[in-house]
Amino acid sequence: MNAGRLLRNWTLRLGLLTALALAAGLVPGWLRPTAVVPPAPAGPLTPVTAAAAPLAAPTACTGAFVTHTLPHTTTARTPIPHQFETNGAGVAIEDLDDDGRLDVVLANVAGPATLLWNQGALNFSPQSLPDRNARAVNSVDVDGDGRVDIVFTHSLAGLTFWRNTPPAQAGGRPTFVRQPLRNVHKPAMAMAWGDLNGDGALDVVAGSYDAELNLLGNDFLFSDGAGVYYYEQQGEAFQPHRLSAQSQALAVSLFDVTGDRRPEILVGNDFHTPDMAWQRADGGWQTITPFATTSHSTMNLAWGDIDNSGRPALFATDMRPFATTDARTWAAWLPLIASMRPVSEKDPQQMRNALQVPDAAGRYVNESLRRGLDATGWSWSGKFGDLDNDGWLDLYVVNGMIDADLLGYLPGAELVEPNQAFRNAGGGAFLPAPEWGLGSLASGRGLSLADLDNDGDLDAVVNNLGSPAQLFENRVCGGAGLEVDLRWPASANTRAIGARLVLRTSAGLLTRDVLVSSGYLSSDPARVHFGFPAGTAVHGLEVRWPDGAQTRLADDPRLAAGAWLTLTR
Amino acid sequence: MHAQPPPPLKARLDIPILTLLHPREYTPLVLAAALAGVVVGSLGVHWLGWPFWSAVAAVLIVLLVPGVFKWRADQRRYGAAAMGVSFLLVAQGFHTVEHISQWVQYHLLGWEARESVGLLSPANSEWVHFIWNWIVVLIVAALVARGFRNGWAWALLVWALAHTFEHTYMFVRYLLVLQELGSLGVAGVTAQGLPGIFGQDGWLARSAAICGPFLSRLPGLTTANRLDVHFWWNTGELALLLLAAHTYLRAALPAARAATPAP
Repeated sequence: MNAGRLLRNWTLRLGLLTALALAAGLVPGWLRPTAVVPPAPAGPLTPVTAAAAPLAAPTACTGAFVTHTLPHTTTARTPIPHQFETNGAGVAIEDLDDDGRLDVVLANVAGPATLLWNQGALNFSPQSLPDRNARAVNSVDVDGDGRVDIVFTHSLAGLTFWRNTPPAQAGGRPTFVRQPLRNVHKPAMAMAWGDLNGDGALDVVAGSYDAELNLLGNDFLFSDGAGVYYYEQQGEAFQPHRLSAQSQALAVSLFDVTGDRRPEILVGNDFHTPDMAWQRADGGWQTITPFATTSHSTMNLAWGDIDNSGRPALFATDMRPFATTDARTWAAWLPLIASMRPVSEKDPQQMRNALQVPDAAGRYVNESLRRGLDATGWSWSGKFGDLDNDGWLDLYVVNGMIDADLLGYLPGAELVEPNQAFRNAGGGAFLPAPEWGLGSLASGRGLSLADLDNDGDLDAVVNNLGSPAQLFENRVCGGAGLEVDLRWPASANTRAIGARLVLRTSAGLLTRDVLVSSGYLSSDPARVHFGFPAGTAVHGLEVRWPDGAQTRLADDPRLAAGAWLTLTR
Repeated sequence: MHAQPPPPLKARLDIPILTLLHPREYTPLVLAAALAGVVVGSLGVHWLGWPFWSAVAAVLIVLLVPGVFKWRADQRRYGAAAMGVSFLLVAQGFHTVEHISQWVQYHLLGWEARESVGLLSPANSEWVHFIWNWIVVLIVAALVARGFRNGWAWALLVWALAHTFEHTYMFVRYLLVLQELGSLGVAGVTAQGLPGIFGQDGWLARSAAICGPFLSRLPGLTTANRLDVHFWWNTGELALLLLAAHTYLRAALPAARAATPAP
């Protein structure tokens, strides 16, 4: 048989095999159609009053972000941080004084926290908040009084609750008074707030970072330990439910992983402790394993509807060098990798970011490698947001590491890596976007995305370790924005945390959730941002409130680009 | 008009590559060398504590003796180009066995990638692969210059060049990383085994302008690990070599036989 005939025969056989594989559905995910999610069953319709205000027009478009330094530096007890102080601290953004401008709270490891009052035009007035040794910070209306409070975690101690107290005089600023969160006393590094039992009051899940607690020695060993607790808010107190006796929690997320429209509890653990997940079952919570593979040292959990399918994907960060074509990067990483406990390639925990994308059957597939998001450096926070207002959620990841013990061979014991921004080119195809100017070399930890200048696009605030916090002002001017605030004064969940909004536009359906706790040690405002290309027609908005009730706005002239809508139920 | 009778069965089964590679009068020597190599290797492993790769190396070194006789005979019988093809087929065949054994260790036996080093683990170094692949390119180029020319041969040359380019990229980067580690005062950390152009963490996976959403979605191109990437590099190289050799030898062997005076 000659070579030509041989080739023809094999071509035929390969063709037949391919056809069989296609028929059997053995094709890779990228060939399959996007998952189609059935529409939500119609719940009871609930009326709202809608108020609209115009967003400011974007100014000075540059196609990039402009960096501003904020008057706060997260510090450790030593000039070069040791051990777990290297984990840094988070940032929270929310409108704390109800003036329509989003304020910023920056936690601090060794020093006091800083509250930055937004005075407009990206001018901030700093105020020190004497909460030290803090790690995570969330701004959330804990007590349902309509005012946004502040909660910190401390890793070696319990949560601290700073209650928003109205100003003595009209027009003044609120003050924050530290008050106990009754029965919330276990040490916790990470937390997430949400209404988990459907009673309207916000509950909290908190996870400890046992590696740091173990440094306490016998004080910790002979105590009752910590782990993961679900604190159920019942009136004036919280009822603790212990979900796990141990954890190395750096992230907690209340994400509907099962698609049953009720949040599950996800905990991202550092080191070799597997990530954890619980689903509400009769009489309590049962563990589930929703993901075949996860990140190994999970630092961050954040979700977003990256392909506008209505089914959000979940992103977790880990440590893996990004600039692998650069010899200097490898030289910085290789001694570190050599000192680490080797992780098997067969281990379900892989030392790379994880992007859990639901398939048509609702099963999650880790697609971080395929979508080029597996490596972003020593990554901490990573969040989705439509940074260029094109209707697709982009991704911003902050990274870097300083550790006197681990990185002593590097100048300043610092692994310097630029933060990574990825533009969603459509359908969840991410491309690095260095042109946005978000590649700060500071050692970033906490991150929050929010529209701080009310101009319809998302800005970013990063709480760095050892250098001033940064605000990245969005001047990309990619399209148009529309923002929605939900108010639910009749409920203790006054900001409707956990609601889902679907914007019907000529560019497709845009699904966004009302979040508070998200990412790494941080929280985002409850205000929902939609971006879409200029010229897009907005046909309607559907709101699925946390209790299942629905609100529909259709062909409402207030639903338009550049609008800031407040819906009060 | 009469139909042409079919060729005899022996002619139909005549595969020129096997004809070329057949050890003929050296068959007993090859078998004896293989046996001797296995004995020496086994004794080395059991009595002298050699690592397994040393035993494999011993077998290959002993087999080199009949190999040299065989290739000289090939040159006399078929000419220099055929001898080069014969050498390349044997050498690349053994090299592919190494990659197949790595693949079996990793995928079928479930070993770790760092443990799936095939039969000759020390050969899994940047230096050895860099030099080996350049040798292959030079031999193929020399053979093409001496008449080993057909479509498959040209494709083989391009493929081998591309493969060697990736190894050169990895080799240069390896030296640069060593230099950087030296400047940091770090010693005793290996810089071998880093990704190349293709596969996960490779140049293509990090080159958005070239990679883009399309290329990055082609299975394996930016996601395969280094072991798989180089398994496929070598599989492609061997496949092209077999096709090129078959096409070339189908004409070259009869011509050489015809040119050889009858004894």
